[in-house]
Amino acid sequence: MFAEENSGNWFQSVSHVPTEYILEDTYVGGGDVERGPNKSVRDFDENDSIVHLVFTPRTKLGVLRLGAEWERFSFGLPDHAALPDTLQSVSLVMGLDMQFSDSIIIRAEGQPGVYDTEFDNLGYDNFNLPFLIGGTYIYSPNLQLVLGVSVDIERKYPVIPVAGIRWKIASQWLLDAVLPTPRLQFEMSKDVSLYVGGNVKQTSYRVDDDFGNANGIPKLNHAILTYSEIRTGGGFDWKISPSVTFTGEVGYQPYRNFDFYRADVRYHQDGGAPYGMISLHGAF
Amino acid sequence: MKPKMLNLQRHFFVRAGSLLLLLLVLCLGLTTARADAVSDLASFSIFDKVDLAQLAKSDVKTTHGPPMSNPRFLAVQSCYVALGSSPAQQIEALRRWDATRHRELKVYLHSDLPSNPTPANFEKLTSAPGNASVRSFVAATQKLSPGLQISKEEAKKFSAAAGGGGGAMPAPIVAFWTDILTARTKSFVSSGMSGQPPYDHAGPSVRASDEVNGLLREQGKIRNQFSSFLGATGIGRGAGSLKPELYWELLDVDDQGVVTLGASYSRGGAGGSYQAADALYYASGGYYVALTLYQMWPVTVEGKPSTLVWRGDMISAASLSSLHGVERLASESVTMKNITKAVTLFRRDTSGGR
Repeated sequence: MFAEENSGNWFQSVSHVPTEYILEDTYVGGGDVERGPNKSVRDFDENDSIVHLVFTPRTKLGVLRLGAEWERFSFGLPDHAALPDTLQSVSLVMGLDMQFSDSIIIRAEGQPGVYDTEFDNLGYDNFNLPFLIGGTYIYSPNLQLVLGVSVDIERKYPVIPVAGIRWKIASQWLLDAVLPTPRLQFEMSKDVSLYVGGNVKQTSYRVDDDFGNANGIPKLNHAILTYSEIRTGGGFDWKISPSVTFTGEVGYQPYRNFDFYRADVRYHQDGGAPYGMISLHGAF
Repeated sequence: MKPKMLNLQRHFFVRAGSLLLLLLVLCLGLTTARADAVSDLASFSIFDKVDLAQLAKSDVKTTHGPPMSNPRFLAVQSCYVALGSSPAQQIEALRRWDATRHRELKVYLHSDLPSNPTPANFEKLTSAPGNASVRSFVAATQKLSPGLQISKEEAKKFSAAAGGGGGAMPAPIVAFWTDILTARTKSFVSSGMSGQPPYDHAGPSVRASDEVNGLLREQGKIRNQFSSFLGATGIGRGAGSLKPELYWELLDVDDQGVVTLGASYSRGGAGGSYQAADALYYASGGYYVALTLYQMWPVTVEGKPSTLVWRGDMISAASLSSLHGVERLASESVTMKNITKAVTLFRRDTSGGR
């Protein structure tokens, strides 16, 4: 029913390519994990850095999402811990947001890339393509429902369903209960918001060919490690300018898991840790 | 149109042979009228292939317009068939329709204005509801918030109005806005949108006429379709030859009360078609300017004289410029839903509603 020739030139009509970005760093203080009753790794800290740049040009199909992301976890592990001290990924971001009707928006997005440790011995099986498909149902301007699935064939549970709700409870209160960053937000002013919430992370990486030999567990050579953590805390968003927002957050990390699930070797949380996060993000 | 149709049908049964040629001519004429309306719709709108019979059985079709280079701009187009109602009747129904009857549309107050308004025409402001939206509007006025869209000259008048009062809308606040709205209405009557003072009290100068002209410039086919009609109005230019129907409203935009001034125009065209425009040429906040254009064609659907209605809604708002990617899609979706809701309520309230 809708015209193609009458809909304008969807690329040329946009004078610049809209872009979104994130620069984020999180420091997690000393925490503990253990493997069974006798093997533990104590008092190690963590640094998580993210650089994310995505162009979001408008096309006739919807809003394209094309860009790249780098994320690196660095752990201050003691000697001889059977855990990698670095997990990092470099991936493309390739996605599309489509408006199916005035009530439904669908997002399909994949992050093909390399998910490894030190990037020093890359092979084809360091490549992975986690992706998500999700839909938002706009019930009203104040209430939206989100439903989707996250797929990662290297993960212990390759398909994880996701559901959430975004509800503007009152003029200053917003419940944005959507993974991976559910939040309850209070808008103090036009430029400053306070929030409490969480951040759920789970990504799979492949460790080095000789990682197992070096740590006395040969079956961990070239193994897949699914790393998971949950952060809970409070913070603020300060909109410095229309295209720059500064976020500061502090809280506690109650859950962390290093899971070589195919080798049946698992280090789970034994002691949580405080954390602090700063971020610059925005769109222009 | 309807009695003429019935008469011809009766004659067909009585004098079928002698009127066969006439009927063929009539049928060809009706088919042509329908094809002309649909092809005319396709020539300037985003609706390329419309099946009138199917459209007549369905709800209003709404979709976003093409993206525009100015991030403040947003456009939505919709079309529907008003069964059993001529374009002239649709125009009259639009004139009579009262959005304040529907709470979900969040239009709290509406009042028509004469061409030479006095403060008495805005006395309804004293009966504004005491809800959070209006309280927010009053608080923003008392603080002379940077978000208020007024001129520097208008802001200077505020010092005399500050302080005192109680109730939903304190008397000094009512007086302040009455003064602004009265002056701006008079300015529109004498000089059209181009005579409106800018929004410049706390930021870069923004002129409503520039915004509406920018909206039209970025939608060339729509501008061409309505250029002759709009040239006779005060929309985006000086006062035109057509007489506007003026009004003011107190409504809610993003949980903030907003007072707004509007002007409606309509003009009949060839073959019973109509064009109409409704411009919200001033707003105290929320949006700079909003323009709704209508093109209406007489069509026959299921043997009933009906109207094919195209509606184009376009808005310029500072808040839109901060939306990108999926946020902008969501904003468009919400706008489309709101327009669908308003059109559905209008159709339900009027004889052409389904």
